[in-house]
Amino acid sequence: MAEMSVIWLRVAAALYSLGLLHSILMLVRRREHLFGVALGAFALGAVFHFVSIVDEGILSNRCPIANTYETLSMCSFLVAILYLFVQWRYKMASLSAFIFPLVFVMSLMATLGNPVGAWSNPVVRNVWLTVHIVLVLLGIAALVVTAVASLLYLFQERELKAKKPRKFYYRLPALGTLDDLISRSMGVGFVLMTLAVIAASTWAFIEHKTAWISQPDIAISFFTWGTYLVLVFLRTTAGWRGRKAAIMTVTVLGFSAITWVAHSRLGAMLLHQ
Amino acid sequence: MKLLLTGVSHKTAPVEVRECLAFPEDSLASALKDLRTRAGVTEAVILSTCNRVEITITTEDGVDPQSTVDAFLADHKTISSDSIAAHLYRYEGREAIHHLFRVAASLDSMVVGEPQILGQLKAAYNTAKETGAVCGWMDGLLTRAFNVAKRVRSETGIGQMAVSVSYAAVELARKIFGSLNGRTIMIVGAGKMSELAARHLRRSGATHVFVTNRTYERAIELAKLFQGTPVEYSRFQSTLPEVDILIASSGATEYILRKEEMQRVIAARRNKPAFLIDIAVPRNIDPAINDLDNVFLYDIDDLQEVVNANLRERMKEADRAEELVTEEVERMMARLKVVEITPTIVGLQEQLESIRAAEVEKVKRRYGPFTEQQQEALEAATRAIINKVAHGPISELRVQAGKPDGAHAVALIKKVFHLQD
Repeated sequence: MAEMSVIWLRVAAALYSLGLLHSILMLVRRREHLFGVALGAFALGAVFHFVSIVDEGILSNRCPIANTYETLSMCSFLVAILYLFVQWRYKMASLSAFIFPLVFVMSLMATLGNPVGAWSNPVVRNVWLTVHIVLVLLGIAALVVTAVASLLYLFQERELKAKKPRKFYYRLPALGTLDDLISRSMGVGFVLMTLAVIAASTWAFIEHKTAWISQPDIAISFFTWGTYLVLVFLRTTAGWRGRKAAIMTVTVLGFSAITWVAHSRLGAMLLHQ
Repeated sequence: MKLLLTGVSHKTAPVEVRECLAFPEDSLASALKDLRTRAGVTEAVILSTCNRVEITITTEDGVDPQSTVDAFLADHKTISSDSIAAHLYRYEGREAIHHLFRVAASLDSMVVGEPQILGQLKAAYNTAKETGAVCGWMDGLLTRAFNVAKRVRSETGIGQMAVSVSYAAVELARKIFGSLNGRTIMIVGAGKMSELAARHLRRSGATHVFVTNRTYERAIELAKLFQGTPVEYSRFQSTLPEVDILIASSGATEYILRKEEMQRVIAARRNKPAFLIDIAVPRNIDPAINDLDNVFLYDIDDLQEVVNANLRERMKEADRAEELVTEEVERMMARLKVVEITPTIVGLQEQLESIRAAEVEKVKRRYGPFTEQQQEALEAATRAIINKVAHGPISELRVQAGKPDGAHAVALIKKVFHLQD
């Protein structure tokens, strides 16, 4: 990608990050009053994004969808425009919980198409990697809490539906309490996972230059993050609870475990430094 | 000292007998004063509730407590002793303590685990204390009984599960929503039980009540009771997305809420759980609604089933409570035996001291006079000897007194040191 085009795209990603911040606050603290600011920044980000795509198209004299990065940029721009239209037409603010993080992560990945120089210092490289690993582990821990609470919710829900109280009914916490725990742990886990994905993308970008995006283990990571995003979205907008939510949470946990196995070499890499 | 507990309860006597033996609150103090002033009675307490009347007294050893209580009852109650004899239970000593602890812990109550009995026992204790009928040993016994009741309540789940239909509804609401703070209730129709359940829910934190009725004026009337909002009957379904707990008790002969209607409501609530209580007969709510996710429908039989399950669970907890009570009784008996052995220990110490004093006197006469310093040394040395000699038997007396089969060892120590009872 051309130098100026990447700069415009970075500005757009920075503005989209306010949308991500709004989603995080909505999940963790259940505050939605930042929505107006986030939406404004998101719209402005889309303008810069448009400039970036046009700039790239003019300079290369073709439609800028020739490689993965350009395609990602175009794709995230289209999602952003489509969302802005839906928001303007139908006022679906809840959709932002899904769209804002998605557009931000896609555009961030698209900005990583131009390789930068090697690590300035090996210590920075290792610290960066350590931060990523710690964030992932904390995120998985939060996801385990979510999965366990979801299963307990399922048991208690069955007891209440059966109308014949047995041991679980008396021993397990109330559905409301479990629901609250699920929401909080899922929100915190998603924030940690998102930060881990950002840290990992930038680390891989510097480490592997432009080749990082075509690696299958990176694709698995993004897929897992995507399933987590869908879970969060379904939970916050459609109010998924009970059986569906439990199955979905356990699935995301399963994908996280696969991702962990796929990246097990990272920990070893750190240890052997 | 003798301890006797005499009484009747819902288990041994019908209400016709219990009401004849009951002591009204205003006559309780004078009855206690009379009982306390009878020959040989040292302390007394009377517990009189709708389910039991119990008279507990302590007397001096030479007195027959049973005839004292019989005479007291004959003086105060018109019912003949023959007609009550079959209903009376009498417990002495350890058995009396065991029964008292069980009563305080609500193990002998009609509804096991109900909390009122402890309050009633405390009231009886206060009255006895105010009239001077409880002023020593029994004070300690009753205080111990209150502590036992407290321990049973905190270490077992005996009082935790609802045993009435209206409370079961509140308990279920708590199991679904966690906290009831800020929850919205809707009452459809009017009925005593729905009113009661709504009242309990309101007291547990629910903030808003909608009331609807076919007769709108009746809805307004009921809404005033709960500082709620009346809703026209034709519009009640449109209010349902705001409602967390619905209590239906209308006289409608057909379902007023069907599965497809509730499906729309739950979608509008974005799958937030809803608790539907249908206490109407015939039922107001389509039972198929319970198949919907995040909807919990309970009819009157379901609530009764929860109550029955709770009662069964309480009985399991009651078994654990019985063990705790027995453990506390053993502890109390051990403590009492230690108190009983105190005169023997004092007797042993006095006997050794008299031997020591006599021997010191002999030495003084034969080898004296001594200087003040020598006298002090002699006193200290002989005291040290008898203390060391006494240490073993005194410790053993204390230990053996607390054991159920310790009487033989105590008798042996008494014999060895020539101690009299």
